[in-house]
Amino acid sequence: MLPIINVIFSSLNVHARQNFARATFQFVILFQPILLSFLLYMMLRGSNPVHAGEYIVVSSGLMNLWSSIIFSSAGDIDRERYMGTLECIYVSPSDFRLIFLGHVLGNLLLGLFSMVLSSICVVFLFGLQVHIENPAEFLCAFTLSILSFTAISLLIGLIFTLSRSARILMNCLEYPIYILCGLVFPISVLPKALQFIAYVLSPTWAAQLLRESMAGIQNIRIFYFDLIALSILILVYFLLTIVLFKKIDRRVRIDGTLGVH
Amino acid sequence: MDQEKQSEYIIEVQNLVRDYVSHKGVFRKKKHTVRAVNNLSFFVKKGEIFGLLGANGAGKTTTIKILTTLLAPTSGSVSILGLDPMTQAKALRPRISFVFGGERSLYWRITGRENLNYFSDLYHISNEIKKRRIPELLELVGLKDHADERVETYSKGMKQRLQIARCLVNDPEIIFLDEPTIGLDPIGARDLRNIVKMLAKQGKTVLITTHYMYEADEICGRVAIVNKGKLVALDTPANLKAQTEHTSVIELHLNEKDDALLKGLNQIKEIDQIRANHTDQYESVSLQCKEPRTVFPQLFPLIGTGHLLSVRTREATLEDVYIHYVSQSPH
Repeated sequence: MLPIINVIFSSLNVHARQNFARATFQFVILFQPILLSFLLYMMLRGSNPVHAGEYIVVSSGLMNLWSSIIFSSAGDIDRERYMGTLECIYVSPSDFRLIFLGHVLGNLLLGLFSMVLSSICVVFLFGLQVHIENPAEFLCAFTLSILSFTAISLLIGLIFTLSRSARILMNCLEYPIYILCGLVFPISVLPKALQFIAYVLSPTWAAQLLRESMAGIQNIRIFYFDLIALSILILVYFLLTIVLFKKIDRRVRIDGTLGVH
Repeated sequence: MDQEKQSEYIIEVQNLVRDYVSHKGVFRKKKHTVRAVNNLSFFVKKGEIFGLLGANGAGKTTTIKILTTLLAPTSGSVSILGLDPMTQAKALRPRISFVFGGERSLYWRITGRENLNYFSDLYHISNEIKKRRIPELLELVGLKDHADERVETYSKGMKQRLQIARCLVNDPEIIFLDEPTIGLDPIGARDLRNIVKMLAKQGKTVLITTHYMYEADEICGRVAIVNKGKLVALDTPANLKAQTEHTSVIELHLNEKDDALLKGLNQIKEIDQIRANHTDQYESVSLQCKEPRTVFPQLFPLIGTGHLLSVRTREATLEDVYIHYVSQSPH
Protein backbone atom coordinates (compact mmCIF):
# COMPACT_ATOMS: atom_id res chain seq x y z
CA MET A 1 0.00 0.00 0.00
CA LEU A 2 2.84 2.37 0.89
CA PRO A 3 4.52 2.25 -2.55
CA ILE A 4 1.13 2.99 -4.15
CA ILE A 5 0.59 6.08 -1.97
CA ASN A 6 4.20 7.05 -2.60
CA VAL A 7 3.70 6.87 -6.38
CA ILE A 8 0.49 8.94 -6.24
CA PHE A 9 1.94 11.53 -3.88
CA SER A 10 5.25 11.79 -5.73
CA SER A 11 3.44 12.18 -9.04
CA LEU A 12 1.08 14.78 -7.53
CA ASN A 13 4.01 16.76 -6.15
CA VAL A 14 6.11 16.75 -9.33
CA HIS A 15 3.27 17.53 -11.71
CA ALA A 16 1.56 20.17 -9.61
CA ARG A 17 4.91 22.00 -9.50
CA GLN A 18 5.65 21.41 -13.18
CA ASN A 19 2.20 22.68 -14.15
CA PHE A 20 2.12 25.64 -11.84
CA ALA A 21 5.37 26.85 -13.39
CA ARG A 22 3.57 27.14 -16.77
CA ALA A 23 2.13 30.53 -17.69
CA THR A 24 -1.03 29.04 -19.27
CA PHE A 25 -1.81 27.10 -16.15
CA GLN A 26 -1.19 30.13 -13.95
CA PHE A 27 -3.71 31.99 -16.10
CA VAL A 28 -6.26 29.17 -15.76
CA ILE A 29 -5.84 28.99 -12.01
CA LEU A 30 -5.35 32.62 -11.03
CA PHE A 31 -7.00 34.85 -13.63
CA GLN A 32 -9.63 32.75 -15.35
CA PRO A 33 -11.77 32.36 -12.17
CA ILE A 34 -11.94 36.13 -11.83
CA LEU A 35 -12.76 36.62 -15.52
CA LEU A 36 -15.39 33.87 -15.53
CA SER A 37 -17.00 35.18 -12.36
CA PHE A 38 -17.10 38.66 -13.87
CA LEU A 39 -18.62 37.34 -17.09
CA LEU A 40 -21.33 35.42 -15.26
CA TYR A 41 -22.01 38.35 -12.95
CA MET A 42 -22.52 40.66 -15.91
CA MET A 43 -24.82 38.11 -17.58
CA LEU A 44 -26.98 37.74 -14.47
CA ARG A 45 -26.90 41.35 -13.28
CA GLY A 46 -29.77 42.52 -15.46
CA SER A 47 -32.16 39.72 -14.48
CA ASN A 48 -31.29 40.01 -10.77
CA PRO A 49 -32.06 36.38 -9.86
CA VAL A 50 -32.16 34.99 -6.34
CA HIS A 51 -29.08 32.91 -5.38
CA ALA A 52 -26.99 34.64 -8.03
CA GLY A 53 -23.92 34.35 -5.79
CA GLU A 54 -24.30 30.58 -5.41
CA TYR A 55 -24.97 30.23 -9.14
CA ILE A 56 -21.82 32.15 -10.09
CA VAL A 57 -19.62 30.35 -7.56
CA VAL A 58 -20.73 26.90 -8.72
CA SER A 59 -20.69 27.75 -12.44
CA SER A 60 -17.35 29.53 -12.55
CA GLY A 61 -15.85 27.01 -10.10
CA LEU A 62 -16.86 24.03 -12.18
CA MET A 63 -15.93 25.72 -15.45
CA ASN A 64 -12.55 26.40 -14.01
CA LEU A 65 -12.18 22.91 -12.61
CA TRP A 66 -13.02 21.56 -16.05
CA SER A 67 -10.50 23.87 -17.74
CA SER A 68 -7.79 22.89 -15.31
CA ILE A 69 -8.56 19.22 -15.93
CA ILE A 70 -8.63 19.54 -19.70
CA PHE A 71 -5.60 21.80 -20.02
CA SER A 72 -3.56 20.05 -17.40
CA SER A 73 -4.58 16.47 -16.75
CA ALA A 74 -5.43 15.67 -20.34
CA GLY A 75 -2.87 18.11 -21.72
CA ASP A 76 -0.23 16.52 -19.50
CA ILE A 77 -0.33 13.41 -21.65
CA ASP A 78 0.44 15.39 -24.76
CA ARG A 79 3.08 17.52 -23.07
CA GLU A 80 4.80 14.49 -21.62
CA ARG A 81 4.67 12.79 -24.99
CA TYR A 82 6.60 15.70 -26.55
CA MET A 83 8.94 15.96 -23.53
CA GLY A 84 9.78 12.27 -23.95
CA THR A 85 8.82 11.55 -20.34
CA LEU A 86 5.59 9.73 -21.19
CA GLU A 87 7.59 6.72 -22.39
CA CYS A 88 9.75 6.82 -19.26
CA ILE A 89 6.86 6.86 -16.81
CA TYR A 90 4.84 4.40 -18.87
CA VAL A 91 7.52 1.68 -18.73
CA SER A 92 8.20 2.14 -15.03
CA PRO A 93 6.89 -0.72 -12.88
CA SER A 94 4.22 1.56 -11.36
CA ASP A 95 0.71 1.27 -12.73
CA PHE A 96 0.28 4.11 -15.23
CA ARG A 97 -3.21 4.78 -13.87
CA LEU A 98 -1.76 5.50 -10.42
CA ILE A 99 0.89 7.82 -11.86
CA PHE A 100 -1.79 9.64 -13.79
CA LEU A 101 -4.05 9.75 -10.72
CA GLY A 102 -1.27 11.76 -9.08
CA HIS A 103 -1.37 14.21 -11.99
CA VAL A 104 -5.13 14.51 -11.75
CA LEU A 105 -5.18 15.05 -7.99
CA GLY A 106 -2.49 17.72 -8.25
CA ASN A 107 -4.49 19.57 -10.86
CA LEU A 108 -7.70 19.14 -8.90
CA LEU A 109 -6.09 20.72 -5.87
CA LEU A 110 -5.05 23.72 -7.95
CA GLY A 111 -8.50 23.75 -9.57
CA LEU A 112 -10.12 23.84 -6.13
CA PHE A 113 -8.00 26.82 -5.27
CA SER A 114 -9.56 28.68 -8.17
CA MET A 115 -13.02 27.77 -6.85
CA VAL A 116 -12.11 29.50 -3.61
CA LEU A 117 -10.77 32.45 -5.58
CA SER A 118 -14.01 32.66 -7.50
CA SER A 119 -16.02 32.67 -4.22
CA ILE A 120 -13.85 35.46 -2.82
CA CYS A 121 -14.38 37.40 -6.02
CA VAL A 122 -18.17 37.00 -5.87
CA VAL A 123 -18.43 38.01 -2.23
CA PHE A 124 -15.89 40.82 -1.99
CA LEU A 125 -15.78 42.21 -5.52
CA PHE A 126 -19.43 41.96 -6.55
CA GLY A 127 -20.88 42.13 -3.03
CA LEU A 128 -23.11 39.09 -3.54
CA GLN A 129 -24.02 36.76 -0.72
CA VAL A 130 -23.10 33.08 -0.85
CA HIS A 131 -24.86 30.66 1.48
CA ILE A 132 -24.75 26.95 1.99
CA GLU A 133 -28.30 26.10 3.09
CA ASN A 134 -27.74 22.34 3.44
CA PRO A 135 -24.13 21.90 4.58
CA ALA A 136 -24.23 18.11 5.04
CA GLU A 137 -25.75 17.56 1.60
CA PHE A 138 -23.37 20.11 0.13
CA LEU A 139 -20.38 18.23 1.59
CA CYS A 140 -21.73 15.02 0.10
CA ALA A 141 -22.33 16.64 -3.31
CA PHE A 142 -18.94 18.33 -3.23
CA THR A 143 -17.09 15.07 -2.42
CA LEU A 144 -18.90 13.25 -5.20
CA SER A 145 -18.21 16.13 -7.61
CA ILE A 146 -14.50 15.91 -6.90
CA LEU A 147 -14.62 12.13 -7.34
CA SER A 148 -16.50 12.51 -10.59
CA PHE A 149 -13.98 15.01 -11.98
CA THR A 150 -11.18 12.66 -10.94
CA ALA A 151 -12.86 9.74 -12.69
CA ILE A 152 -13.61 11.60 -15.91
CA SER A 153 -10.13 13.10 -15.98
CA LEU A 154 -8.51 9.67 -15.59
CA LEU A 155 -10.65 8.28 -18.37
CA ILE A 156 -9.93 11.17 -20.76
CA GLY A 157 -6.20 11.07 -19.98
CA LEU A 158 -6.01 7.37 -20.76
CA ILE A 159 -7.89 7.82 -24.02
CA PHE A 160 -5.51 10.66 -24.93
CA THR A 161 -2.55 8.23 -24.80
CA LEU A 162 -4.05 6.67 -27.95
CA SER A 163 -3.66 9.68 -30.17
CA ARG A 164 -0.94 12.11 -31.08
CA SER A 165 -3.71 14.60 -31.86
CA ALA A 166 -4.64 14.86 -28.18
CA ARG A 167 -3.93 18.60 -28.17
CA ILE A 168 -6.60 19.26 -30.81
CA LEU A 169 -9.10 17.08 -28.96
CA MET A 170 -8.22 18.86 -25.75
CA ASN A 171 -8.97 22.26 -27.24
CA CYS A 172 -12.26 20.98 -28.65
CA LEU A 173 -13.46 19.69 -25.31
CA GLU A 174 -13.51 22.85 -23.22
CA TYR A 175 -16.51 24.91 -24.37
CA PRO A 176 -18.85 22.06 -25.40
CA ILE A 177 -18.80 20.84 -21.79
CA TYR A 178 -19.64 24.33 -20.47
CA ILE A 179 -22.68 24.26 -22.74
CA LEU A 180 -23.67 20.60 -22.51
CA CYS A 181 -23.44 20.33 -18.73
CA GLY A 182 -25.53 23.37 -17.93
CA LEU A 183 -22.66 25.27 -16.38
CA VAL A 184 -23.74 28.60 -17.92
CA PHE A 185 -27.44 28.13 -18.66
CA PRO A 186 -29.97 25.36 -17.87
CA ILE A 187 -29.75 22.26 -20.05
CA SER A 188 -33.53 22.39 -20.48
CA VAL A 189 -32.96 24.95 -23.25
CA LEU A 190 -30.88 22.42 -25.22
CA PRO A 191 -32.39 20.12 -27.89
CA LYS A 192 -33.54 16.74 -26.52
CA ALA A 193 -30.73 14.75 -28.14
CA LEU A 194 -28.12 16.99 -26.55
CA GLN A 195 -29.84 16.71 -23.18
CA PHE A 196 -29.36 12.96 -23.35
CA ILE A 197 -25.61 13.48 -23.82
CA ALA A 198 -25.62 15.98 -20.94
CA TYR A 199 -26.97 13.35 -18.57
CA VAL A 200 -24.12 10.90 -19.20
CA LEU A 201 -21.63 13.61 -18.28
CA SER A 202 -20.96 13.89 -14.58
CA PRO A 203 -20.43 17.70 -14.43
CA THR A 204 -24.16 18.08 -15.28
CA TRP A 205 -25.17 16.28 -12.08
CA ALA A 206 -22.39 17.85 -10.04
CA ALA A 207 -23.51 21.37 -10.98
CA GLN A 208 -27.15 20.54 -10.23
CA LEU A 209 -26.37 19.03 -6.81
CA LEU A 210 -24.01 21.76 -5.71
CA ARG A 211 -26.42 24.54 -6.68
CA GLU A 212 -29.34 22.83 -4.95
CA SER A 213 -27.49 22.17 -1.71
CA MET A 214 -26.22 25.75 -1.60
CA ALA A 215 -29.49 27.46 -2.49
CA GLY A 216 -31.66 25.11 -0.44
CA ILE A 217 -33.01 21.70 -1.46
CA GLN A 218 -36.63 21.91 -2.71
CA ASN A 219 -37.27 18.18 -2.99
CA ILE A 220 -35.00 15.87 -1.02
CA ARG A 221 -36.07 12.79 -3.03
CA ILE A 222 -34.98 14.39 -6.29
CA PHE A 223 -31.76 15.48 -4.64
CA TYR A 224 -30.96 11.93 -3.55
CA PHE A 225 -31.93 10.60 -6.95
CA ASP A 226 -29.40 13.00 -8.50
CA LEU A 227 -26.83 11.94 -5.93
CA ILE A 228 -27.33 8.27 -6.86
CA ALA A 229 -27.16 9.09 -10.57
CA LEU A 230 -23.84 10.87 -10.06
CA SER A 231 -22.51 7.95 -7.97
CA ILE A 232 -23.45 5.50 -10.72
CA LEU A 233 -21.72 7.64 -13.34
CA ILE A 234 -18.58 7.80 -11.19
CA LEU A 235 -18.62 4.03 -10.88
CA VAL A 236 -19.07 3.65 -14.63
CA TYR A 237 -16.14 6.00 -15.33
CA PHE A 238 -13.87 4.15 -12.89
CA LEU A 239 -14.93 0.79 -14.29
CA LEU A 240 -14.28 2.00 -17.82
CA THR A 241 -10.81 3.19 -16.74
CA ILE A 242 -10.05 -0.26 -15.33
CA VAL A 243 -11.53 -2.25 -18.20
CA LEU A 244 -10.24 -0.07 -21.04
CA PHE A 245 -6.70 0.18 -19.70
CA LYS A 246 -5.68 -3.28 -20.89
CA LYS A 247 -7.03 -2.60 -24.36
CA ILE A 248 -5.52 0.90 -24.47
CA ASP A 249 -2.16 -0.42 -23.25
CA ARG A 250 -2.10 -2.92 -26.09
CA ARG A 251 -3.24 -0.36 -28.66
CA VAL A 252 -0.66 2.30 -27.74
CA ARG A 253 2.12 -0.27 -28.08
CA ILE A 254 0.82 -1.46 -31.44
CA ASP A 255 0.35 2.07 -32.78
CA GLY A 256 3.44 3.48 -31.07
CA THR A 257 1.65 6.61 -29.82
CA LEU A 258 3.60 7.08 -26.60
CA GLY A 259 6.43 8.94 -28.26
CA VAL A 260 6.89 11.29 -31.15
CA HIS A 261 10.32 10.13 -32.31
CA MET B 1 21.03 -22.22 -32.18
CA ASP B 2 21.49 -25.05 -29.64
CA GLN B 3 20.06 -24.90 -26.11
CA GLU B 4 23.45 -24.53 -24.39
CA LYS B 5 24.49 -21.60 -26.50
CA GLN B 6 21.08 -19.98 -26.15
CA SER B 7 21.30 -19.80 -22.35
CA GLU B 8 24.32 -17.48 -22.39
CA TYR B 9 22.34 -14.76 -24.16
CA ILE B 10 20.13 -12.38 -22.23
CA ILE B 11 18.82 -10.54 -25.28
CA GLU B 12 17.51 -12.70 -28.09
CA VAL B 13 16.01 -11.15 -31.18
CA GLN B 14 14.86 -13.47 -33.94
CA ASN B 15 13.35 -12.50 -37.28
CA LEU B 16 12.01 -9.26 -35.84
CA VAL B 17 9.72 -7.26 -38.11
CA ARG B 18 8.01 -3.97 -37.35
CA ASP B 19 5.74 -2.12 -39.75
CA TYR B 20 4.33 1.36 -39.25
CA VAL B 21 0.96 1.86 -40.83
CA SER B 22 -0.38 5.32 -41.57
CA HIS B 23 -3.50 6.46 -43.34
CA LYS B 24 -3.48 9.14 -45.99
CA GLY B 25 -6.02 11.11 -47.98
CA VAL B 26 -8.98 13.27 -46.99
CA PHE B 27 -10.93 10.30 -45.62
CA ARG B 28 -7.74 8.55 -44.46
CA LYS B 29 -8.64 5.53 -46.55
CA LYS B 30 -5.28 5.15 -48.25
CA LYS B 31 -3.10 2.83 -46.20
CA HIS B 32 0.64 3.38 -46.25
CA THR B 33 2.98 0.85 -44.65
CA VAL B 34 6.63 1.45 -43.87
CA ARG B 35 8.81 -1.47 -42.75
CA ALA B 36 11.15 -0.04 -40.11
CA VAL B 37 12.65 -3.36 -38.97
CA ASN B 38 13.02 -6.12 -41.49
CA ASN B 39 13.73 -9.66 -40.29
CA LEU B 40 16.35 -8.60 -37.77
CA SER B 41 18.12 -11.25 -35.65
CA PHE B 42 20.87 -10.86 -33.07
CA PHE B 43 21.83 -12.10 -29.62
CA VAL B 44 23.55 -10.27 -26.77
CA LYS B 45 25.56 -11.87 -23.98
CA LYS B 46 25.43 -10.87 -20.33
CA GLY B 47 27.89 -8.09 -19.50
CA GLU B 48 28.48 -7.21 -23.14
CA ILE B 49 28.43 -3.75 -24.72
CA PHE B 50 26.62 -4.43 -27.96
CA GLY B 51 26.34 -1.76 -30.64
CA LEU B 52 23.59 -1.31 -33.20
CA LEU B 53 25.03 0.82 -35.97
CA GLY B 54 23.03 2.42 -38.69
CA ALA B 55 22.08 5.66 -40.36
CA ASN B 56 19.01 7.69 -39.39
CA GLY B 57 15.93 5.64 -40.20
CA ALA B 58 17.81 2.33 -40.10
CA GLY B 59 15.40 0.99 -37.48
CA LYS B 60 17.64 1.29 -34.41
CA THR B 61 15.23 3.28 -32.23
CA THR B 62 12.28 1.11 -33.26
CA THR B 63 14.26 -1.99 -32.26
CA ILE B 64 15.12 -0.49 -28.86
CA LYS B 65 11.50 0.51 -28.30
CA ILE B 66 10.39 -3.05 -28.95
CA LEU B 67 13.04 -4.44 -26.60
CA THR B 68 12.03 -2.02 -23.85
CA THR B 69 8.29 -2.94 -23.95
CA LEU B 70 7.26 0.36 -25.56
CA LEU B 71 6.32 -0.98 -28.95
CA ALA B 72 4.74 -4.18 -30.21
CA PRO B 73 6.56 -6.14 -32.91
CA THR B 74 4.66 -6.95 -36.09
CA SER B 75 6.22 -10.42 -36.15
CA GLY B 76 9.26 -12.32 -34.93
CA SER B 77 10.29 -13.10 -31.39
CA VAL B 78 12.10 -11.16 -28.70
CA SER B 79 13.28 -12.41 -25.36
CA ILE B 80 14.91 -10.18 -22.74
CA LEU B 81 16.18 -11.95 -19.62
CA GLY B 82 14.01 -14.85 -20.71
CA LEU B 83 10.88 -12.68 -20.78
CA ASP B 84 8.69 -11.55 -23.65
CA PRO B 85 8.57 -7.71 -23.64
CA MET B 86 5.05 -7.69 -25.06
CA THR B 87 3.32 -10.18 -22.77
CA GLN B 88 5.60 -10.12 -19.70
CA ALA B 89 6.30 -6.40 -19.54
CA LYS B 90 5.35 -6.16 -15.87
CA ALA B 91 8.05 -8.62 -14.82
CA LEU B 92 10.63 -7.20 -17.21
CA ARG B 93 10.30 -3.46 -16.62
CA PRO B 94 11.93 -3.31 -13.13
CA ARG B 95 15.01 -5.11 -14.51
CA ILE B 96 15.79 -2.91 -17.51
CA SER B 97 16.15 0.77 -18.29
CA PHE B 98 16.68 3.03 -21.28
CA VAL B 99 17.92 6.40 -22.40
CA PHE B 100 16.85 8.04 -25.62
CA GLY B 101 19.36 10.56 -26.93
CA GLY B 102 18.88 14.30 -26.74
CA GLU B 103 17.74 16.52 -23.93
CA ARG B 104 14.28 15.06 -23.52
CA SER B 105 12.93 12.49 -21.04
CA LEU B 106 13.46 14.73 -18.00
CA TYR B 107 11.33 17.22 -16.08
CA TRP B 108 13.01 20.55 -16.72
CA ARG B 109 11.18 22.63 -14.13
CA ILE B 110 12.37 20.62 -11.16
CA THR B 111 15.93 19.90 -10.03
CA GLY B 112 18.16 17.02 -11.07
CA ARG B 113 17.86 15.44 -7.62
CA GLU B 114 14.07 15.76 -7.69
CA ASN B 115 14.00 14.02 -11.07
CA LEU B 116 15.95 11.09 -9.64
CA ASN B 117 13.74 11.03 -6.55
CA TYR B 118 10.61 10.91 -8.66
CA PHE B 119 11.81 8.10 -10.92
CA SER B 120 13.03 6.19 -7.84
CA ASP B 121 9.49 6.38 -6.44
CA LEU B 122 8.07 5.10 -9.73
CA TYR B 123 10.47 2.14 -9.50
CA HIS B 124 9.41 1.51 -5.86
CA ILE B 125 12.93 2.11 -4.53
CA SER B 126 12.89 2.23 -0.72
CA ASN B 127 13.83 5.47 1.03
CA GLU B 128 16.87 3.80 2.55
CA ILE B 129 18.28 2.78 -0.85
CA LYS B 130 17.25 6.07 -2.40
CA LYS B 131 19.20 8.07 0.18
CA ARG B 132 22.34 6.12 -0.64
CA ARG B 133 21.90 5.62 -4.39
CA ILE B 134 20.92 9.10 -5.59
CA PRO B 135 24.09 10.85 -4.29
CA GLU B 136 26.14 7.97 -5.74
CA LEU B 137 24.53 8.39 -9.13
CA LEU B 138 24.95 12.15 -9.09
CA GLU B 139 28.61 11.62 -8.28
CA LEU B 140 28.94 9.01 -11.05
CA VAL B 141 27.64 11.36 -13.71
CA GLY B 142 29.48 14.38 -12.32
CA LEU B 143 26.39 16.35 -11.30
CA LYS B 144 26.90 16.37 -7.55
CA ASP B 145 27.45 20.13 -7.46
CA HIS B 146 24.44 20.88 -9.67
CA ALA B 147 22.00 18.41 -8.12
CA ASP B 148 19.76 21.09 -6.64
CA GLU B 149 19.56 23.29 -9.69
CA ARG B 150 16.62 23.19 -12.06
CA VAL B 151 17.23 20.95 -15.09
CA GLU B 152 16.31 23.82 -17.44
CA THR B 153 19.55 25.53 -16.37
CA TYR B 154 21.67 22.49 -17.33
CA SER B 155 23.76 22.27 -20.48
CA LYS B 156 22.94 19.60 -23.06
CA GLY B 157 25.74 17.36 -21.78
CA MET B 158 24.56 17.70 -18.19
CA LYS B 159 21.03 16.77 -19.20
CA GLN B 160 22.28 13.71 -21.03
CA ARG B 161 24.35 12.66 -18.02
CA LEU B 162 21.33 13.16 -15.79
CA GLN B 163 19.44 10.86 -18.12
CA ILE B 164 22.08 8.19 -17.53
CA ALA B 165 21.66 8.66 -13.76
CA ARG B 166 17.88 8.47 -14.21
CA CYS B 167 18.16 5.17 -16.02
CA LEU B 168 20.25 3.73 -13.19
CA VAL B 169 17.87 4.47 -10.32
CA ASN B 170 16.51 0.92 -10.46
CA ASP B 171 19.98 -0.67 -10.77
CA PRO B 172 18.97 -2.36 -14.06
CA GLU B 173 20.57 -5.52 -15.42
CA ILE B 174 20.30 -4.27 -18.99
CA ILE B 175 20.64 -0.68 -20.16
CA PHE B 176 19.42 0.40 -23.59
CA LEU B 177 21.08 3.57 -24.84
CA ASP B 178 19.72 5.12 -27.99
CA GLU B 179 22.28 7.54 -29.44
CA PRO B 180 23.27 8.83 -26.00
CA THR B 181 26.05 11.10 -27.28
CA ILE B 182 24.06 12.75 -30.05
CA GLY B 183 24.75 16.49 -30.19
CA LEU B 184 27.38 16.43 -27.46
CA ASP B 185 30.71 18.21 -27.70
CA PRO B 186 33.78 15.90 -27.90
CA ILE B 187 34.54 16.13 -24.17
CA GLY B 188 30.93 15.54 -23.18
CA ALA B 189 30.75 12.55 -25.54
CA ARG B 190 34.00 11.13 -24.16
CA ASP B 191 32.72 11.50 -20.56
CA LEU B 192 29.57 9.66 -21.51
CA ARG B 193 31.51 6.85 -23.19
CA ASN B 194 33.61 6.52 -20.04
CA ILE B 195 30.45 6.16 -17.96
CA VAL B 196 29.19 3.43 -20.31
CA LYS B 197 32.51 1.58 -20.02
CA MET B 198 32.33 1.87 -16.24
CA LEU B 199 28.80 0.43 -16.21
CA ALA B 200 29.96 -2.54 -18.27
CA LYS B 201 32.77 -3.11 -15.76
CA GLN B 202 30.10 -3.24 -13.06
CA GLY B 203 28.52 -6.14 -14.94
CA LYS B 204 25.69 -4.31 -16.69
CA THR B 205 24.74 -5.36 -20.18
CA VAL B 206 24.56 -2.36 -22.51
CA LEU B 207 22.87 -2.20 -25.88
CA ILE B 208 23.84 1.05 -27.53
CA THR B 209 22.76 2.50 -30.84
CA THR B 210 24.88 5.05 -32.61
CA HIS B 211 25.87 6.29 -36.01
CA TYR B 212 29.28 7.41 -34.75
CA MET B 213 31.60 4.61 -35.87
CA TYR B 214 34.55 5.64 -33.71
CA GLU B 215 32.26 5.45 -30.69
CA ALA B 216 31.24 1.89 -31.48
CA ASP B 217 34.84 1.00 -32.21
CA GLU B 218 35.95 2.33 -28.83
CA ILE B 219 33.34 0.84 -26.52
CA CYS B 220 31.51 -2.05 -28.16
CA GLY B 221 32.47 -5.69 -27.80
CA ARG B 222 30.39 -6.55 -30.86
CA VAL B 223 28.50 -4.49 -33.35
CA ALA B 224 25.59 -5.16 -35.67
CA ILE B 225 25.35 -2.98 -38.76
CA VAL B 226 21.75 -2.31 -39.73
CA ASN B 227 20.60 -0.79 -42.98
CA LYS B 228 16.95 -0.09 -43.79
CA GLY B 229 15.90 -2.35 -40.93
CA LYS B 230 18.04 -5.28 -42.09
CA LEU B 231 21.12 -6.74 -40.49
CA VAL B 232 24.02 -6.48 -42.91
CA ALA B 233 26.97 -7.44 -40.68
CA LEU B 234 27.60 -8.59 -37.12
CA ASP B 235 30.99 -9.12 -35.50
CA THR B 236 33.58 -7.54 -33.23
CA PRO B 237 34.90 -4.19 -34.46
CA ALA B 238 38.33 -5.81 -34.89
CA ASN B 239 36.97 -8.62 -37.07
CA LEU B 240 34.92 -6.22 -39.13
CA LYS B 241 37.93 -4.03 -39.69
CA ALA B 242 40.01 -7.09 -40.57
CA GLN B 243 37.77 -7.51 -43.59
CA THR B 244 39.23 -4.31 -44.91
CA GLU B 245 42.78 -5.19 -43.81
CA HIS B 246 45.40 -3.99 -46.23
CA THR B 247 42.81 -1.57 -47.52
CA SER B 248 43.74 2.09 -47.76
CA VAL B 249 41.61 5.14 -48.24
CA ILE B 250 42.72 8.07 -50.40
CA GLU B 251 40.92 11.23 -49.40
CA LEU B 252 40.75 14.14 -51.81
CA HIS B 253 39.47 17.56 -50.86
CA LEU B 254 38.41 19.69 -53.83
CA ASN B 255 37.27 23.29 -53.91
CA GLU B 256 34.37 22.47 -56.23
CA LYS B 257 32.43 19.50 -57.52
CA ASP B 258 34.17 17.76 -60.41
CA ASP B 259 31.86 15.43 -62.35
CA ALA B 260 34.54 14.63 -64.91
CA LEU B 261 36.82 13.46 -62.11
CA LEU B 262 34.14 11.16 -60.67
CA LYS B 263 33.51 9.75 -64.13
CA GLY B 264 37.23 9.14 -64.62
CA LEU B 265 37.63 7.53 -61.19
CA ASN B 266 34.97 4.98 -62.10
CA GLN B 267 37.27 3.78 -64.88
CA ILE B 268 40.19 2.99 -62.51
CA LYS B 269 39.85 -0.71 -61.80
CA GLU B 270 42.20 -0.62 -58.76
CA ILE B 271 39.64 1.49 -56.85
CA ASP B 272 37.23 -0.71 -54.87
CA GLN B 273 34.84 2.00 -53.75
CA ILE B 274 34.22 5.69 -54.36
CA ARG B 275 32.40 7.97 -51.95
CA ALA B 276 31.73 11.64 -52.64
CA ASN B 277 30.67 14.05 -49.91
CA HIS B 278 29.78 17.72 -49.80
CA THR B 279 30.75 19.90 -46.84
CA ASP B 280 30.50 23.66 -46.34
CA GLN B 281 34.22 24.06 -46.90
CA TYR B 282 35.02 21.57 -49.67
CA GLU B 283 33.96 18.61 -51.78
CA SER B 284 35.39 15.40 -50.40
CA VAL B 285 36.05 12.22 -52.41
CA SER B 286 37.15 9.02 -50.63
CA LEU B 287 38.61 6.14 -52.61
CA GLN B 288 39.03 2.69 -51.09
CA CYS B 289 41.79 0.64 -52.67
CA LYS B 290 44.31 -2.07 -51.87
CA GLU B 291 47.37 -0.33 -53.29
CA PRO B 292 47.37 3.49 -53.39
CA ARG B 293 50.67 3.52 -55.32
CA THR B 294 48.94 2.05 -58.36
CA VAL B 295 46.06 4.52 -58.13
CA PHE B 296 48.01 7.78 -57.79
CA PRO B 297 49.56 7.80 -61.29
CA GLN B 298 46.10 7.37 -62.83
CA LEU B 299 44.45 9.79 -60.43
CA PHE B 300 46.38 13.05 -60.83
CA PRO B 301 45.83 13.50 -64.56
CA LEU B 302 42.09 13.42 -63.89
CA ILE B 303 42.11 16.35 -61.46
CA GLY B 304 41.41 19.70 -63.10
CA THR B 305 43.84 22.57 -62.52
CA GLY B 306 43.21 24.44 -59.30
CA HIS B 307 40.56 21.99 -58.01
CA LEU B 308 42.63 20.00 -55.53
CA LEU B 309 42.92 21.42 -52.00
CA SER B 310 44.53 18.44 -50.25
CA VAL B 311 45.17 14.73 -50.59
CA ARG B 312 46.00 12.16 -47.96
CA THR B 313 46.02 8.41 -47.47
CA ARG B 314 44.98 6.52 -44.35
CA GLU B 315 44.07 3.02 -43.16
CA ALA B 316 40.45 1.92 -43.44
CA THR B 317 38.37 2.48 -40.27
CA LEU B 318 35.15 0.98 -38.96
CA GLU B 319 33.37 3.81 -40.75
CA ASP B 320 34.73 2.56 -44.07
CA VAL B 321 33.58 -0.95 -43.17
CA TYR B 322 30.15 0.43 -42.36
CA ILE B 323 29.96 2.31 -45.64
CA HIS B 324 31.15 -0.77 -47.47
CA TYR B 325 28.30 -2.87 -46.03
CA VAL B 326 25.62 -0.24 -46.29
CA SER B 327 26.42 0.60 -49.91
CA GLN B 328 26.49 -3.10 -50.82
CA SER B 329 23.17 -4.02 -49.22
CA PRO B 330 20.21 -4.05 -51.63
CA HIS B 331 17.85 -1.09 -51.53
